[in-house]
Amino acid sequence: MSLDKIEMHLKLLFDLDNLLDDLDEPAYKEIGFKIKDAERRSLIKARSELLLKLPLDIADVYERLKKRYRRAIAPVENDFCFGCFQKLPTQLLTRSKEINTCPNCGRILYWRKK
Amino acid sequence: MNLASLLSKERINLFLKPGKKNKIIEDLVYSLKKDADAELIVSTLQKREELGSTGIGKGIAIPHCRSLAVDKLEIAVGRTTKPISFNAIDKKPVSLIFLIIAPPQDPGNQYLLTLGKIVQIAKEITKKKLIQKPQTPEEFIALINQIEKDLKKRK
Ligand SMILES: [Zn+2]
Repeated sequence: MSLDKIEMHLKLLFDLDNLLDDLDEPAYKEIGFKIKDAERRSLIKARSELLLKLPLDIADVYERLKKRYRRAIAPVENDFCFGCFQKLPTQLLTRSKEINTCPNCGRILYWRKK
Repeated sequence: MNLASLLSKERINLFLKPGKKNKIIEDLVYSLKKDADAELIVSTLQKREELGSTGIGKGIAIPHCRSLAVDKLEIAVGRTTKPISFNAIDKKPVSLIFLIIAPPQDPGNQYLLTLGKIVQIAKEITKKKLIQKPQTPEEFIALINQIEKDLKKRK
């Protein structure tokens, strides 16, 4: 699978996980949007299928990080990992040709498109 | 937190051409962001809509999600010149749409607070039948400001 495709799957997986997480937030529930249970179950299924499409090692890292931090991916802002707020080493500061993780916290790093 | 301060004139379109729900959501997203990640936001918003329409009733919808694609809270407002079908909870068509996108990391939970506030303000707008009133983005922001003030006074 090409890096672009892996990245695309990872980003969508991450967005969907955030979506599912928010449904359980008390502040979200309080707002009162009606959520359909069947659709929620099918979204959980969709995220599992997305995970299965990823190369095994990457899927593994993602799930491990998710368990540990809830949010497995951290955007890079001004040379900082936005998961642990540590400055990244210079060799990591530009988008490279592989999936990078933060040397400090281990989260998958994401460079936002400008 | 003040909703009016999060709105910008350029992101308020009170004369949106009516269309299919997904197309309107897409147009609003592209008014915020045009890069490759805009597609990601559209997909996530569509997944959110599948969970249950964000059409909260009486003509207003509030599509929302978090996305890795944004680094700060972004809001776009659209009002269609004719009501459109949005599978809203009351089955009524929608004409006023608040679109809100938040970054995953969100200090102070600004996203959920803002979302809650928009719902509250939207209910006032429908109660007072003000959806069609503002004719310019400036008037729209002034209206939101006024409703916010009134809500604060009531507390
Ligand atoms: Zn880190």
